Amino acid sequence: MSALLETQNLKKYFKTSRGLLHAVDDVTFTIQKGKTMGIVGESGCGKSTLGRTLIHLLESTGGRIRFEGRDITSVSRRELKKLREEMQIIFQDPFSSLNPRYTVEKAIQEALRLTGRYSPSQIPKETDRLMELVGIDQRLRTSYPHELDGGRRQRVVIARALAPNPKFIVCDEPVSALDVSIQAQVLNLLQDLQENMGLTYLFITHDLSVVKHISDDICVMYLGQMVETSPSDELFTMPLHPYTKALLSAIPTIDIHTPMENIPLEGELTSPVDPQPGCRFAARCKYVCEACGKPQQLEELRPGHFVSCCRAKELNM
Amino acid sequence: MEELKRSEQLNVKDNVNTKVKLKDQDAFLKINHLVVEYTSEGEVIHAVNDVSLSLRRGKTLGLVGETGAGKTTIAKAVMRILPERSSRIPGGEIEFNGRDILSLSEKQMQKIRGEQVSMIFQDPMTALDPVKTMGQQIAEVVRLHNDVSKKEAAVRAEEMLELVGIPASRAGEYPHQFSGGMKQRVVIAIALACRPKLLLADEPTTALDVTIQAQVLRMINDLKRKLNTSMILITHDLGVVAQNCDDVSVIYAGEIVESGTKEDIFDHPSHPYTIGLFDALPKLDSGASRLKPIVGLPPNPTDLPTGCRFHPRCPLATEACGQGKVPMKELTSGHFCRCNKRKE
Repeated sequence: MSALLETQNLKKYFKTSRGLLHAVDDVTFTIQKGKTMGIVGESGCGKSTLGRTLIHLLESTGGRIRFEGRDITSVSRRELKKLREEMQIIFQDPFSSLNPRYTVEKAIQEALRLTGRYSPSQIPKETDRLMELVGIDQRLRTSYPHELDGGRRQRVVIARALAPNPKFIVCDEPVSALDVSIQAQVLNLLQDLQENMGLTYLFITHDLSVVKHISDDICVMYLGQMVETSPSDELFTMPLHPYTKALLSAIPTIDIHTPMENIPLEGELTSPVDPQPGCRFAARCKYVCEACGKPQQLEELRPGHFVSCCRAKELNM
Repeated sequence: MEELKRSEQLNVKDNVNTKVKLKDQDAFLKINHLVVEYTSEGEVIHAVNDVSLSLRRGKTLGLVGETGAGKTTIAKAVMRILPERSSRIPGGEIEFNGRDILSLSEKQMQKIRGEQVSMIFQDPMTALDPVKTMGQQIAEVVRLHNDVSKKEAAVRAEEMLELVGIPASRAGEYPHQFSGGMKQRVVIAIALACRPKLLLADEPTTALDVTIQAQVLRMINDLKRKLNTSMILITHDLGVVAQNCDDVSVIYAGEIVESGTKEDIFDHPSHPYTIGLFDALPKLDSGASRLKPIVGLPPNPTDLPTGCRFHPRCPLATEACGQGKVPMKELTSGHFCRCNKRKE
């Protein structure tokens, strides 16, 4: 196994009128080739900012990004153009990422043309291939986005992302706007594509059952900080960070015979603008102690299972 | 002999009658054979087709279905807030607390809305007025339905804020100063300000994060118990239903396809659509590597399939499923399913 993408202390800060907003602070992880890294966390925790920073839709403020062993933290415009072919992104709302005046066919052809790899005579054949790959019926060639349902629209977006033959795709809440029956279809498609083409995903979602289903590893974020990362199954059977525990306990399960043991989260969110050093979850954590005010170290407590909490060892081990 | 048989039959009939009557008394909101249509560009959209529901006093009924199934339309019909020009109700009755909602005048309806029946909408941002303070928005409802002074209404508003876990000192703030979860709590405070007997919650937590969702649902349930409110909880999230409802109705293409107690639906799902919904869900406690989606797409509401609306997507469908109206059958007491393939 080899690493496709690595980040080290990746930071992204935004200047606001109130101060510096720490959207992503010191995120360190490795995604192996052909695997899926799930990013979970609540709205505003920096999930999407992280995804966008990785593929240079936003420029990082600090830290390092390595892609296939190369340092891509800062790249020239020309390098970036090449990089964009290898790294693609799928957004939550397929309606706003498709041109309403382009038909399915035209939308996919545009993406193919931009790669510069195909001659005009090759493009129709490639379009057919992509449509088949993502499961869009030929009869929908001339349909416009508004004539398609959400699932099919998302398939068109996926076909466009696949046009340059990428290695890495950031999936930013790709199924959150879809109904469960359609959501399952799209998740299965993403898994098929991964198996057949060896794709690597960064899968951003707030839906914990979806992330468990699709990810090999999961990284939990809270207000810009990475609090825990672990192999997918282990995160659910043995969460180590107090925030992860509270988050998992809040998922309503469909098991009606075991009552939920919800760990309520009291208190309000800390502001990510010019935050104090230390753990940002401390204000809502019942295990808070003095050491929580100092910067937390990411510690590997079990193989591949890292947690950023000074009391995790004492509380769990 | 003949005589005896007949009297037996009569007896049975009597029993059935009393049972039905008892159920009727239990029901606090009864929707009978409701039909709602919209017209758009000359086409008729069949949003709700012959829906019957009943809600017991103090209980929560979960109404589950996918986008476009008609969930919200039913709630809007109960509130009588369907768009006047583009919608019509060609058939059915809605009986609330013994009154026929559909025959009331707009003036009578205004007395009921907000005071006896309240609705919580999915998106708290569009439900709140951005240029009024939170306190004003709650007080407005209080004054509309109660003969109280401005001062008293303001006090009530502050009490309501405290009740939903927001410090009364924030009553003077505007919606943009609140987080999403807090805004939704204010929307709930407005809905409950007049202590309604019936609460229609339309995806009240869908826009919220799970930890906030847990808070908000816990709060709704506490208040519901305190005020003895009955509730219809509209959602597509089966987990939310499992943890919050007493009874469940599953709706598909404007028709109830299965209804029963929570135990009936979760332990013995019977309609192929209900089973399909459960199967399509990624589960936290299973290692399955593939999901089982329901094949195909929900039907176009302007052109619904004949027979069982679900038959084009159903793994059990035979030719007969495409013909004739499929009746609701009672599988076990109180557990109904609309499927020819299921034996009574």
